[in-house]
Amino acid sequence: MADQLYLENIDEFVTDQNKIVTYKWLSYTLGVHVNQAKQMLYDYVERKRKENSGAQLHVTYLVSGSLIQNGHSCHKVAVVREDKLEAVKSKLAVTASIHVYSIQKAMLKDSGPLFNTDYDILKSNLQNCSKFSAIQCAAAVPRAPAESSSSEKFEQSDLQVSSETQANNELTTNGHSPPTSKQILQQPKGIMGMFASKAASKTQEANKETKTEAKEVSSAGNKAPGKGNVMNNFFGKAAMNKLKVNLDSEQTVKEEKIVEQPPVSVTEPKLAAPTGLKKPSKKAEPVKMQQKEKKRGKRMELSDDETKETESMKKKRRRIKLPESDSSEDEVIPDSPGDYEAESPSPPPPASPPPEPVPKTEPEPPSVKSSNGEKRKRKRVLKSKTFVDEEGCIVTEKVYVSESCTDSEEELKMKTSSVHRPSAMMVKKEPKEERKGPKKGTAALGKANRQVSITGFFQRK
Amino acid sequence: MFSEQAAQRAHTLLSPPSASNATFARVPVSTYTNSSQPFRLGERSFSRQYAHIYATRLIQMRPFLVSRAKQHWGAGVQIKKLCELQPGEKCCVVGTLFKAMPLQPSILREISEEHNLLPQPPRSKYIHPDDELVLEDELQRIKLEGTIDVCKLVTGTVLAVLGSVRDTGKFLVEDHCFAELAPQEPAPCLDTDRFVLLVSGLGLGGGGGESLLGTQLLVDVVTGQLGDEGEQCSAAHVSRVILAGNLLSHNTQSRDSINKAKYLTKKTQAASVEAVKMLDEILLQLSASVPVDVMPGEFDPTNYTLPQQPLHPCMFPLATAYSTLQLVTNPYQATIDGVRFLGTSGQNVSDIFRYSSMEDYLEILEWTLRIRHISPTAPDTLGCYPFYKTDPFIFPECPHVYFCGNTPSFGSKIFRGPEDQRVLLVAVPDFSSTQTACLVNLRSLACQPISFSGFGAEEEDLGGLGLDP
Repeated sequence: MADQLYLENIDEFVTDQNKIVTYKWLSYTLGVHVNQAKQMLYDYVERKRKENSGAQLHVTYLVSGSLIQNGHSCHKVAVVREDKLEAVKSKLAVTASIHVYSIQKAMLKDSGPLFNTDYDILKSNLQNCSKFSAIQCAAAVPRAPAESSSSEKFEQSDLQVSSETQANNELTTNGHSPPTSKQILQQPKGIMGMFASKAASKTQEANKETKTEAKEVSSAGNKAPGKGNVMNNFFGKAAMNKLKVNLDSEQTVKEEKIVEQPPVSVTEPKLAAPTGLKKPSKKAEPVKMQQKEKKRGKRMELSDDETKETESMKKKRRRIKLPESDSSEDEVIPDSPGDYEAESPSPPPPASPPPEPVPKTEPEPPSVKSSNGEKRKRKRVLKSKTFVDEEGCIVTEKVYVSESCTDSEEELKMKTSSVHRPSAMMVKKEPKEERKGPKKGTAALGKANRQVSITGFFQRK
Repeated sequence: MFSEQAAQRAHTLLSPPSASNATFARVPVSTYTNSSQPFRLGERSFSRQYAHIYATRLIQMRPFLVSRAKQHWGAGVQIKKLCELQPGEKCCVVGTLFKAMPLQPSILREISEEHNLLPQPPRSKYIHPDDELVLEDELQRIKLEGTIDVCKLVTGTVLAVLGSVRDTGKFLVEDHCFAELAPQEPAPCLDTDRFVLLVSGLGLGGGGGESLLGTQLLVDVVTGQLGDEGEQCSAAHVSRVILAGNLLSHNTQSRDSINKAKYLTKKTQAASVEAVKMLDEILLQLSASVPVDVMPGEFDPTNYTLPQQPLHPCMFPLATAYSTLQLVTNPYQATIDGVRFLGTSGQNVSDIFRYSSMEDYLEILEWTLRIRHISPTAPDTLGCYPFYKTDPFIFPECPHVYFCGNTPSFGSKIFRGPEDQRVLLVAVPDFSSTQTACLVNLRSLACQPISFSGFGAEEEDLGGLGLDP
């Protein structure tokens, strides 16, 4: 009786669901060997035709064999409709195999839908694509993750070593993404090459860089503990180190920017005083970046020359914007939902943490983020953000928000959070303050850090 | 052959399901060595001129040519350098050919304002009756005339000419000879049939859907999903698959991002991104079942100059999980089960096609074997890295199977050399247009084309299969 189940299944697929049932699709769906699936299809066709000769079934067959063509014995493999089957068979000198390829209710004009069906089922079973196949290969074992990542690192370090012997200051032809901290050495070297006027010898450059990096490490070290306190609670040392290293790399590039920003950030705290909520969110952001990078692990971030270019373009753009908008760059833009999830549990509930000078983390987060080497689609949009501040007041303000493509999600979450608050605070009369300016969202809302604007003092008309 | 062996088993699939289904084990690779080390570039410096590669080519080839000349024209033939030539004296000179072609695209002519020329449209062949041959050696050059086929030869060939210099200052050629085949190690004797599948020009991302079904059928045959037991058993004897270039279609090379304004192309994705994802899936299916070697081609995301470096594994996150996937250089050289393979993705042959009167790709392949150089036109018309120590394109030894990819049609031939060398020449056709791949039998050193087809909307009988009576 169990044998008959497959007949019912096929019947259901073909007649009720009107699917195109190929042998491969059947094999994955029922979890059987491909040959068995082919036999099942054949059996079904025979039975159905016997019961009901007017059955509306169209069958395609696979024929393969050899024939002489242009002096060669050419092996042909073809998918043919049932009506052409005999004709094709007769043409072949030697027939190697014939079997049912697919069954469907409607007559197919061409073999495109067959491919689509196979492709779809394959996509959903990519990891065990040869499970039901008739050939098993002993050599095809997935590499252990440690092995593959170490081979990658080896390759990269290999190229790194070889490029260091180069006299001139060029990037290696294959740009390498810097997922590992080793590669950070490469990256600043390459980018420094764009800025450096002299072509010093490679070793000297390397020394210089390590010196500057050492300098930056210490300066970063001063800055990092400031924000590191909170973060250390959530994430381990590894993340901190990564964060530092990434900071370093970005700082070598943005030395000038950093000089600009501290004076800016000094004004920041005054503007931003009550909502120290921003801080954990901001801090969480860069570390989140690291976490994401860690999570990604081998997930390739292709930073080839193009992305570096766009990064530098973005950096350049940001630099220009700096004087007019007086932003310390708070645009950390996570561009995947994963980030939101990572963030929302982590920051503490909006109790008031000690207000700290709006960091010096500000230069870092955006730079950290862009060091990811990923393309982020960002646009600055003036949006109206509603959130609850420290005192429990609902605040609505218009700020520039850099939005990524997960725009709608952000909005949705914000709306839901703002809905809760009013219900809780219904007793009080909430003054709705229209405060323009550098406001950071609450933890729940603080997905995108806001652009701080020098015109925040003034009401926007 | 593949089909006959496949047909030996009884047909079992047009019958009700049987209790057990046979599974075959893929033949294990007994020996494999990748000898493409000479084509791997470490640090690259482009600050050198290309004269060095010609100099080293001549130095390396001179001994071979001298011995060949002595074989052809007797041991007493005088081998002289151009500077030592006396008028009227019959002697033999070894040098590099240069073909002066008026139609050859020249960037200097194009940008020269005094000529006011529009850029020349690309042609299929740049030969012209007015082409002239010049022989160059280390110090001098001399024009050639006489019994020498100007149309057929291309720049960069090293050869020996026999003749004498005329009073006009030109060299009158009586005969010429090439370096011919390098020495060859004897092919191993295998006891079972083993196959290597050669495919090229998958052309993913090309937009045409017909070749996708063909590609899927190919993967299914190799991985043992398609076909009856006999065919699956034969497919289990395929010990390796070599993808010889042009995995992506040339449509994916859209240069919009360079030509168009940034605001127009800001959110567009390069066409190659989707194509590489598709390629990754195909490679995953293949490498889960058979060792695969992937060579880059003209339209693939790697460097342009020969030798092309392997594609980066980060592009194939799914497939690189399997150690059976190997990303190799173009040209590619390896010893598979004792049989020496050497092949390219076809840029060398198609470049010679453009500058020579030879029409058949297989003929050109044979010719490159005879002049003992994989791509003589590099670096003149084909991009090449400025080597200076050695020219890696000279054949150090003769391979057993010599292939080139992306040819317009399938071709295969056994070529015999003067010292009893036996080479199987294979012109692997472009899969996206011909739906044909090549199966090389390592035991018999024979090649069988294997082609795939679906059915289309056209009502002609069997047209798609090429089975017209």
